[in-house]
Amino acid sequence: MEFLDSLILGFSTAATPTNLLFCLMGALLGTLIGVLPGIGPTATLAILLPITFFLPPLAALIMLAGIFYGAQYGGSTTAILVNLPGEASSVVTAIDGYQMAKQGRAGAALAVAALGSFFAGTVSTLGLAIAGPALATLALSFGPAEYFSLTIFGLLCATVLASGSVIKAIAMICIGLLLGMVGTDVNSGSERLTFGATELFDGVEFVVIAVGLFGIAEIIVNLETPELRGLIAAKISRLWPTRDDFRRAWPAVLRGTGLGTFLGILPGGGATLSAFSAYTLEKKVSRDPRRFGKGAIEGVAGPEAANNAGAQSSFIPLLTLGIPSNAVMAMLLGAMTIHGITPGPAVIQNQPELFWGLVASMWIGNAMLLVINLPLIGLWVRLLTVPYRLLYPAILLFCCVGVYSVSNRAFDVALAVGFGFLGYLFRKAKCEPGPLLLGFVLGPLLETNLRRALLISQGDPSVFIQRPISLALLVAALGLLVLMVVPAVRKTREEAFVDEES
Amino acid sequence: MLKILKTLCIGALAATVTAGTAQAEWPKDRPIEIIVAFAPGGSTDVMARAMQPYLEKELGAKIVIINKPGASGEIAYTQLSQAKPDGYTFSFINTPGYLSMQVQRKLRYDPKSIQAVARIVDDPTAFVVREDAPFKSLKELVAHAKANPKAVSVGSSGVGTDDHLATILLEQAAGVSLTHVPFPGAGETRTALLGNHITVGGLNVSEFAGGDTTNIRPLVQFSDKRAAEAPNVPTAQEQGFDVVMSSERGLAAHRDVPADIRTKFSDAVKRVVDDPQFKEQAKKLALPLAYLSGEDWEKQMPKRLQSFQEIWNKTPWVQ
Amino acid sequence: MMAVRSTFGRTGNHPDILAGLVFIVVGALGLWAGRDLRVGAAAMMGPGYLPLIISSLIVFIGLIVTIMGLVRDNERLDVIRLRPLLIILVAVAGFAYAAESLGFILAAIWLIGVGSMADRETRLREVAASIVVLTTFGILVFIVGLGVQMKLGPF
Repeated sequence: MEFLDSLILGFSTAATPTNLLFCLMGALLGTLIGVLPGIGPTATLAILLPITFFLPPLAALIMLAGIFYGAQYGGSTTAILVNLPGEASSVVTAIDGYQMAKQGRAGAALAVAALGSFFAGTVSTLGLAIAGPALATLALSFGPAEYFSLTIFGLLCATVLASGSVIKAIAMICIGLLLGMVGTDVNSGSERLTFGATELFDGVEFVVIAVGLFGIAEIIVNLETPELRGLIAAKISRLWPTRDDFRRAWPAVLRGTGLGTFLGILPGGGATLSAFSAYTLEKKVSRDPRRFGKGAIEGVAGPEAANNAGAQSSFIPLLTLGIPSNAVMAMLLGAMTIHGITPGPAVIQNQPELFWGLVASMWIGNAMLLVINLPLIGLWVRLLTVPYRLLYPAILLFCCVGVYSVSNRAFDVALAVGFGFLGYLFRKAKCEPGPLLLGFVLGPLLETNLRRALLISQGDPSVFIQRPISLALLVAALGLLVLMVVPAVRKTREEAFVDEES
Repeated sequence: MLKILKTLCIGALAATVTAGTAQAEWPKDRPIEIIVAFAPGGSTDVMARAMQPYLEKELGAKIVIINKPGASGEIAYTQLSQAKPDGYTFSFINTPGYLSMQVQRKLRYDPKSIQAVARIVDDPTAFVVREDAPFKSLKELVAHAKANPKAVSVGSSGVGTDDHLATILLEQAAGVSLTHVPFPGAGETRTALLGNHITVGGLNVSEFAGGDTTNIRPLVQFSDKRAAEAPNVPTAQEQGFDVVMSSERGLAAHRDVPADIRTKFSDAVKRVVDDPQFKEQAKKLALPLAYLSGEDWEKQMPKRLQSFQEIWNKTPWVQ
Repeated sequence: MMAVRSTFGRTGNHPDILAGLVFIVVGALGLWAGRDLRVGAAAMMGPGYLPLIISSLIVFIGLIVTIMGLVRDNERLDVIRLRPLLIILVAVAGFAYAAESLGFILAAIWLIGVGSMADRETRLREVAASIVVLTTFGILVFIVGLGVQMKLGPF
């Protein structure tokens, strides 16, 4: 009963006209910046932070949170329509979503993404309300050893992402790992692989690589093959998913939600990891993995549900322990301290209307996003019928400004040119860039945690098997490896890609 | 709806739009650019944005905050050293990074071309442990570390930060051997401490004093006298270890900026720091305000620089 | 216009050979860039430990993929056209150069104007319209609306 009372308190606080207005404003602004590639929620929150001084604390938090999950919605839109993932968590959405768009099923992909995200958002908000504090404690038990084992597991998942040859995928992961090592080494403080450029001391920005490998390379390839783009516009058939689409999508949404809610609470790459592992899971449980990479709706539904669930549950460590799990959460923490609120266990007891109001507003915000986004699908799809010769200069401009705005420097744009060329070579060489990005995101986690774990254990590698969670993750990773190597499974794999390799 | 949104955005960002360029006397000619050497949302950035409206009022000028993150500030400082010395470009500088950087690598800019204008914050370094830890004081911690070399792990916000340098200084002062574990920031350090993955968390007073201190116990602050924000935490000197370390934040300009402009700016900063309304806001951000004029601040620097050089010569913290 | 067909050899899987060569170059670059880093040992890894291992692995895989590509069934590269490749890269590089010194307006005009030349279907009147519309949109949304910290003109 107490839980119900709290929820009622939350909804009555969140449903005041002011709070609703700020919720809508945040969600709209979030969608806008999500659709514009490159301009991420972190920068936007920073710019809006000063205005929140003059707002009531709850309204300010509701708006800032709205920007964050609104951006998650908007980010998948560009991933599906123009193959341009705005952030790490929508990289996998682009794989099958863009293929669907090419087949004239962009509407179905967008609808499933929106519905899946809404469902996942609802479930994980509920999860946050019920089990938040308990889940947060679990996140704390993840130390360096556990993180190392988790990233190993995640990297093995990445090989399943690629629909081409496994060995090329492994090489791509390694290139991603290498790129992730560029910059100042956290453990020793020395610079490496920077070629002496101060601009690289903090490493390469994700957006630079994503825009280069996906955005710029995609535009060049599209311009090379004019015969392909006429088809996209011609084939748009229907906006709404078919009954068959729904039948395939809903179990994927369920699985993605579970995975995302759980992995999202982990500080670090939570939301990203959950999207990648949801894709892997879908491909593994599918009876016909051949469809993946060619427009499988599960490949959109699962990861989209997972990244939204992950985004919601990343609030858990912030609200219950005061620990920000990513840059956006750090910004929210900043906003809270400006208002004199200290996130932590005390907030739920001392300011229940704040905690529950925020939780309730997230659900309301998700519902608003659904209402905003479903009618917009028609508009987005119509965007694809704009002649490509008019569309691509606009995409180029968005990419360039987005890359520039990450650190306000032209160096990054120049670097994106290099990655654009590399991405072009990868297309010609039939190497998929997805695994590279996962390697890039997980690489620093892998290395720092490996070295940190060994530092704390004073060089004793047995920590990785002495700690139960770490051991379980390593066993799971081993299991995945065995699954790939065992001849029987390998046979089905080869069958799966026989058409591409012949 | 969209209109409201737009108005709001434009209102908030009016400061970033370049204003008209009628010729006038400093500081009315054009907006003053203040460079923040860290990404938006970091503690320096939050502080800069909190100060912006107050400083605009005091100076009667527009201020634009520009984030130039990277290389622990070197990119921002390089830009400052290349800016026209006309009093329209300032940058936040943070010690010990600003000083230790001069010791640990060859820089792209000449540190002599930059002059401190005003110190705003002096945030002592502190060591905290979990509440259930067996140590009640720094002495007990040191005794434990003496008996078990390398077993005590100290998490810091990175190599060469004040937390790290304090660890090295304590090792030398107490004759113990600790294991330094660098994290990317204070948030991660705190998480690792709460999860019991490290023994000690190196945090700054502002990083725990205003905040939630359930589950953690501050053992020591490395200041010469107890900070107002943490009156119950004893200093290292009180406990018999001569280690003083803090993280200072302030503003700097090109050395060729005319002295009267520097003074006017520094005075404006002083008035902001004394403004009761700003003080209230600083309290919420747990900022230990400690204004110092540029001249006074610069006087302290050679001594600290020299002590860093000595540590570096004995135990370089970057290989 | 300019269409380059893959010219090397009649046999062999050309995409694989290209992939292998790219891997070798990237790995070698990694080895070269990390040549001065302290390697350390497994228990006390230096900053160069993992870069060395990963770079070597990339070169190794590159060799395998190249060799396998040489002996496998014939597959040619997709058509390579130099016009879009070069023009797009030059357009973006020009934007990078112009953004800091000349400001957003000139950079955007260059990017859209030159970038549009990559497509042969482009019509001059449309390019002019794109430049006006997109530059105005960019100023309003990016610079004014979202506060991207880029100056507008060269002053």
